[in-house]
Amino acid sequence: MADTFERITNLLALLLETRQPLSLAEISDRLIGQYPAAEVSRRTAFERDKALLRAEGIPIEQTVLGGDRAGQTVYSIDRQRYELGDLGLDEAERQALHFAVAAVRTGTEWGTEAIWKLGADDGGRRPVELEASLPAIAALPVLFQAASERSVVRFRYRGSDDERALRPYSLLSRNGVWYVVGFDERRGEKRTFRADRIEGEVRAGPPGAFERPVDFDPRTAFPADPKTMVVGDPGPQTALVAIDAVRASQAARELGATAVVSHSDDGSIVVEVPCSNLQSFRHWVLGWLEYAEVLEPAEVRADLVAWLTDLASGSAT
Amino acid sequence: MSASASKRRGPRPASERLRRILVMLPWIMERGEVPLAEVAARFELPESDVLADLERVAMCGLPPYEPGDLVDLYVDEGVVYAGVPRIFTRPLRLTTPEAFALLAAGRAALQLPGADTAGALARALGKLEAALGAIGLDIELARPANADAVAAAVDARAQLTMTYWSANRDEMTERVINPLGVFADRGHWYVVADDVGAAGERTFRIDRIESVARTGATFEPRSVATPVAAGWFAGGDLPQARLLVESGGEWIAERYPMVSVTERSDGGYELVTNVTSEQWLARLLLRSGGRAVVVEPEQWRSLGSDVASRILARYRPTN
Repeated sequence: MADTFERITNLLALLLETRQPLSLAEISDRLIGQYPAAEVSRRTAFERDKALLRAEGIPIEQTVLGGDRAGQTVYSIDRQRYELGDLGLDEAERQALHFAVAAVRTGTEWGTEAIWKLGADDGGRRPVELEASLPAIAALPVLFQAASERSVVRFRYRGSDDERALRPYSLLSRNGVWYVVGFDERRGEKRTFRADRIEGEVRAGPPGAFERPVDFDPRTAFPADPKTMVVGDPGPQTALVAIDAVRASQAARELGATAVVSHSDDGSIVVEVPCSNLQSFRHWVLGWLEYAEVLEPAEVRADLVAWLTDLASGSAT
Repeated sequence: MSASASKRRGPRPASERLRRILVMLPWIMERGEVPLAEVAARFELPESDVLADLERVAMCGLPPYEPGDLVDLYVDEGVVYAGVPRIFTRPLRLTTPEAFALLAAGRAALQLPGADTAGALARALGKLEAALGAIGLDIELARPANADAVAAAVDARAQLTMTYWSANRDEMTERVINPLGVFADRGHWYVVADDVGAAGERTFRIDRIESVARTGATFEPRSVATPVAAGWFAGGDLPQARLLVESGGEWIAERYPMVSVTERSDGGYELVTNVTSEQWLARLLLRSGGRAVVVEPEQWRSLGSDVASRILARYRPTN
């Protein structure tokens, strides 16, 4: 008997080329001796092969017949759905994609497999000296497909047991973190979720389930600076922070000269920075250790003092 | 690209062999003849595996399996020859993960220094999104001011002199470097370079470069392996710390590179991390707000509270 690789290859060829959908009896008949003769083991072997091909993304269709063949299941592959269509890419464009996949790590082989299918060559470019990495997150392809096909997705989000139902409008990546932005059906408002905090499986409903609002713009849906991302009730928008002389130039470089509101003779500066997302602001200001001090607003200064006091008191024990 | 496939031993599953052969055949048929070694290199397989699979697939085809019904292909003297393309002439369509990875890599690559946002890559992405009916992915990798100058120096093999803030030593240093490669990871940009004064390969964070200029000298390039995420600053001689993080502090394991992460029965985590400097660890502890505590080594157990007290001193009126 043929080995599994040979048998599934022949099965695939047969289903791709047949004009009429075929029943298992007909398939077994044509694949001469490749399936067991006994009906039960033949069915078992065939089901396993079918599952294996489908897991590879091969669209095997099955139909239950009526009429004089009533109840019989027949199988076929729609070539249109099987084959990579003509994407209209020229050689330079395929090479550019090849280069992109080589330069951006995703922690998976998906990009490489895609490049193989496109048949792209590297065009003799020298090895990549520029690289970026994007984290691999299992939920991303499902979210991507759901957003593209406009399917509602259901998932659990960290720290909460209730299931979310989201109309995914867009997928964004900001500095190495993936987010999905959409309409939370239960809460009745637009929400942003971090893809790496989605727990368990993401289940997508039928396509075409919603319309993306015409005025939806991913660029404005999500602020580039996390310190401006409002979570919960909006509080003060900006804070004034003093930065010591030893860190002044570094801070000015990071924030841009326009953020510097004053210079002192001792070399220290005062900068104005967004603080509407208090958690993100706290992160930032603590990064400067004892070289930074929040001046105002008073409530933001008090928040930081409370944060530090908790930490400092924990030490005494 | 990874060569992991060639390192693995043992029988390969039929599904994996099929997946590979379905992309290999159209590529070979388009070329007519290709050296076996070239096929093996491109598809990241040992030549022996490629040979075995090609010989096997040449026995596959359509009923009644006469010579004219089979995949028309043979291997002779290390060269693969394809005859009449009959079946498996087109690759399988892209799976969702493949389409996603391709578009994500493309959009991210457009954010690299020197990328042509109206060039071949941008055109390719537009065509792919249209053909696949896919949403446009919105990817931003914000770059610090000096990233483009450093990337251009890598490209030109130009030696650089720079003023660099060393977080470990907490001081400004003057360095001469031969920049070998630039990469972005977890929101930061880095340059891998030979540190000319210190004689060794180092990784520098570009946002800590105060100023940079070319020295006028050039250097002989060599290829460098970009450090792998999470492990990249795992220097062999760095001290390690063991931390306990209570539930709600999971982001710490996501944000900072960890050597190991173990979930505990109480919902918390035990983390082991390399400590590049005391300041680095202090920042982590401060930001955790007490959710992370150092278990080992003992010298750092009170680090978080000590630094918190030091900062608090600024906020208290002196009298």
